[in-house]
Amino acid sequence: MTIKDSLDRLAVQRSLRAGILLVIVAAVTLEATSLIQNYFAQKSLREEVSSKAESRLNILESEIMNVINQAEAGVRNKMWIAQWCLDFPDSLARVSQLVVDDNPVLVGSTVALVPGYYRDRPLFAPYTLRSGDELISRSLATEAYDYPSQEWFTKPIELDEGYWSEPYIDVGGGDMLMTTYSVPIKDADGRTAGVLTGDISLDWLTNLVENVRIYPNSRSIMLSRAGLFMVSPREDVIMTRTVHEVVGQLADSLAFMEVNRAMLNGESGEATLYISKEKHHAYYAPVERTGWSMCIIIPDDDIFGSIRRDNLLIKIFQLLGLAMLILILRSFIRSQFKYSEVNERKERMEGDLHIARRIQMSMVPDAVKSFPERHDLDMAAAIIPAREVGGDLYDYFIRDGKLFFCIADVSGKGVPASLVMAVTRTMFRAMSSHEDDPATIVQSMNDSMCEMNENDMFVTFFLGKLDLSNGHLEYCNAGHNPPRALTDHIFELPVQPNLPLGIMQGFPFVGQETDLIYDDALFLYTDGLTEAENSAKELFGEARMDAALHGRKSAKEHLNTIQMEVEKFVGGAPQSDDLTMLFIHYLGTGEGYHLKLKNDVSQIELLAGFMDRVAEENDLDPGLAMQINLAIEEAATNVIMYAYPEGTEGEVDLGASRQGDNLIFTLADTGIPFDPTAAPEADTSASLEDRPIGGLGIHLVRTIMDSVSYKRAEGKNVLTMTKHI
Amino acid sequence: MEVNLTRKDNEVTVKFVGRMDTPAALEAAKELEPLKEEASKTIIMDCSELTYISSSGLRIFLSLRKAAAVKGGKVIVKGISDDIRQVFMMTGFLNLFQIED
Repeated sequence: MTIKDSLDRLAVQRSLRAGILLVIVAAVTLEATSLIQNYFAQKSLREEVSSKAESRLNILESEIMNVINQAEAGVRNKMWIAQWCLDFPDSLARVSQLVVDDNPVLVGSTVALVPGYYRDRPLFAPYTLRSGDELISRSLATEAYDYPSQEWFTKPIELDEGYWSEPYIDVGGGDMLMTTYSVPIKDADGRTAGVLTGDISLDWLTNLVENVRIYPNSRSIMLSRAGLFMVSPREDVIMTRTVHEVVGQLADSLAFMEVNRAMLNGESGEATLYISKEKHHAYYAPVERTGWSMCIIIPDDDIFGSIRRDNLLIKIFQLLGLAMLILILRSFIRSQFKYSEVNERKERMEGDLHIARRIQMSMVPDAVKSFPERHDLDMAAAIIPAREVGGDLYDYFIRDGKLFFCIADVSGKGVPASLVMAVTRTMFRAMSSHEDDPATIVQSMNDSMCEMNENDMFVTFFLGKLDLSNGHLEYCNAGHNPPRALTDHIFELPVQPNLPLGIMQGFPFVGQETDLIYDDALFLYTDGLTEAENSAKELFGEARMDAALHGRKSAKEHLNTIQMEVEKFVGGAPQSDDLTMLFIHYLGTGEGYHLKLKNDVSQIELLAGFMDRVAEENDLDPGLAMQINLAIEEAATNVIMYAYPEGTEGEVDLGASRQGDNLIFTLADTGIPFDPTAAPEADTSASLEDRPIGGLGIHLVRTIMDSVSYKRAEGKNVLTMTKHI
Repeated sequence: MEVNLTRKDNEVTVKFVGRMDTPAALEAAKELEPLKEEASKTIIMDCSELTYISSSGLRIFLSLRKAAAVKGGKVIVKGISDDIRQVFMMTGFLNLFQIED
C-alpha cells in the first residue's frame, strides 16, 4: 500500500466519521426541536382546554342556577300566603295550586304540615301536580308515603332554612327525575308549622348537561349531594349507583375516589383519569346551594390526538429527511473515494500477512549479520516464500563452540504451514539448548510433533551440529533432501533413510557423523530450489544446482549466484513452492597454531620452533615432521620472496590445526594475487642439462602435502595445505 | 649452520653442520660461489651432520653439479641421512648425484 493510499483511506475514515456525526447532530436537533415544540403545543392546548372546560362549566352552572333561582323564588314568593292560610287549613291546597300555577318551572308543590299541627288532622299535606295544562290536587298524607319521614320534609325543618332535596325518581308522577325545594313555614307564634315545597323536573337538566360536548367524545356527569349519578352516559346508574359502586373495581379507582371526594366537597378542579386504560381529563365544579357537582370528562386523544397525528407526520418527514441525508452523504463519500469494503478487507488481510511475514522472517536469523567476530565460519541463508508466508525454515545458533543448524520444509503452504514452521523452530531451539546429540534432538522433536499433530502435517528436517574447534560434524536427516558437501569436489552428503517429523511416534532416528576441514562447505536447500519450474514446466534440477555451486566464493556470493541462476531459469514463471537455502562455509583451523611472519626471509628461522611444537603435540614421526616443515617453509618462502613488491613491508599468517587425522595448514597474505598451484609440474626425471635451478619449492609442497588449494578472497591469498598423518 | 671447507690434493670437502633452511642456504650460496671455479676438481659434499635442507640448499648442490659437468669435475654427496635422502628422492636428485655413505 503506498503512502497516498494510506492517506486516502485516512481521509475516507475521517469523512465517514464526519458524515456519521452530521447525521447524529441533525437527528438530535430535529428530535429536540420537535420535543420542545410538542411540549409547548401540549401545554398551551391543555391550558386552552382547561379554560374552555371551566367557562363551559360556568355557563352550565348559571343555566342551572337560572332554573334553581326561579324555582326558589316561586316557592318563597308564596310563603306569606301559606303563613296567612295556616289558620284556614282547607285553603292550603289552594296555596300549593298557586305555587305551581304561577311558576312554569315548578311541576308540583305541597304544603305539608308537622304531624299533629291540626288536632283533627294528624297528617295533612295537600299537593298539586302539573299534568300537561291541568293541575291535579292530591294529598300526600297517606300511610304508604309517610311524608313526615321524607327528606324534603325533615331536612329544612332540621336546618331551619330552604333546602334542595336529593333528586329522586317520582314514581307516581310519570317516572321523572325530580328534586324538591322546601322552605319551613313559621306560624304567627314562630313555631314551625310545616314546609312549603316546589318540585322541579330534572329532564331539562339531563339535556342541558348532556349537551355540554366540548369535544366529540367528551362526556358530562352530574353527581348529587349523596354521590348518586344524576346525569351520566350510562342510564342504568342514574340515581341508583354512586361513583364508589361504579368504579370500585377499577385499578385506577384511587384517582376516581379523589375526584369524587373533591366533587362531593363542592370543590372545583381538574384531574387525569384512566378509563379502560385510556387517558382522560376531568374538569369539575359545584352547583351552588344544591350540593350538586358537574364534571366534564374528555378523552386525552380528543385533545392531543391531532397534535400526535401531526407529530407522527412530522416524525415521518424527519426520518425521510435523515434517510435522504445519509444517502446523499454516502454517495458523496463514495464518489470522492474509490474504496469499497471489499478492498478494505483485502487490504487488512494483506496487512496482516505483511506483519505475519515480518514476524516469520524475524524468527530466522539474518545470516549476513551472524557471528561477524568468527573467522572460522562464513554463512549465508535465504528464504523466498512462494506466498506471503511459507512453511520453510532455517535456523542456527552457536552453543559451547558448536554450531547447531537446521533446515526444514513443512508440507503444505501458506498460513497453516507457517504456523507449523514456527512450532518447529521453537522446538529446535528448545531441544537443542540442552541436548547435544542431533538424533536425540530430532527424535524428541518428532515425538512432540506427533502428539500435537492433528492436521496430518509433516516436516522434512535436517539437523546438524558442527564442532567449530575441529570440524567434527554430527547430523540427523529426517526425510529432507540430503545437503551438498563441498570439499575438493561436490557430492551429496550420505544420509540415513529416516522418516520426516510428525509421521510416526517413537520412530528410531539414526544419526551420522563426518569431519569437515578448513574450507569445506555444506549447502542445505529445500526442494523449492531443485523443483523451481520454468514456463515450459522444466525443473531446475540438481545438475544445474551443482553447476552453480562450482568454484570457491564467499557464502553470500554462492547464494547470490544460485539465486541468479534460478531466476534466469524460471524467467518470471510463478513459483508454487517456498525456496530456502543455507550455505555454511567452514574456515576453522581449530584451536590450532598461529605464526605471524614478516616478509623477510630471515623470519623462516622461526618456523623450526613452530613446527617442533606442532610435531611434538601431534606425536609426529621426526621424518614426517621434517618433510612437513620443508613444505611449509617452501610455501612461506615463496610468499615472503614474491608476494610483496620490493621495499614494502608485508605479513604472512601461518595457521595450523588438527582435524581428525589431518593437519591443516593455511598461509594467508595480503600481497599481489598469486596462485602457486597454477605453476607447471617440475620434471624430476629431466637430465642435468635440462633441469632448471628453480621451481623445486612448489614441487616439494605438492609432493609432501596430500592436498593443496589456493583461493583469493577478501583481498587475501589463502593457500591451504592438508597432510594426513 | 656451519660450512667447513677443507682442501686436499685435487679434492675439496664441504662439510655442512646443522640445518640448511632458506636463510642458511642463501648465506652458504654466497660463501660457496667461488667454489664453482674449482669445479674441475672432485667436490665432496659431507652431509653427515646436515639435519635439514630446503630447496634453496638443493639449488647450491645443483649449481655446483652443473658447474662440475661443464668443467669435468665431479660432485660426491656423502653421508646423507634417511630424511634428506627422501628429499633427494622427491626431487630426482638421487639420479643426478653420486651418493656415498
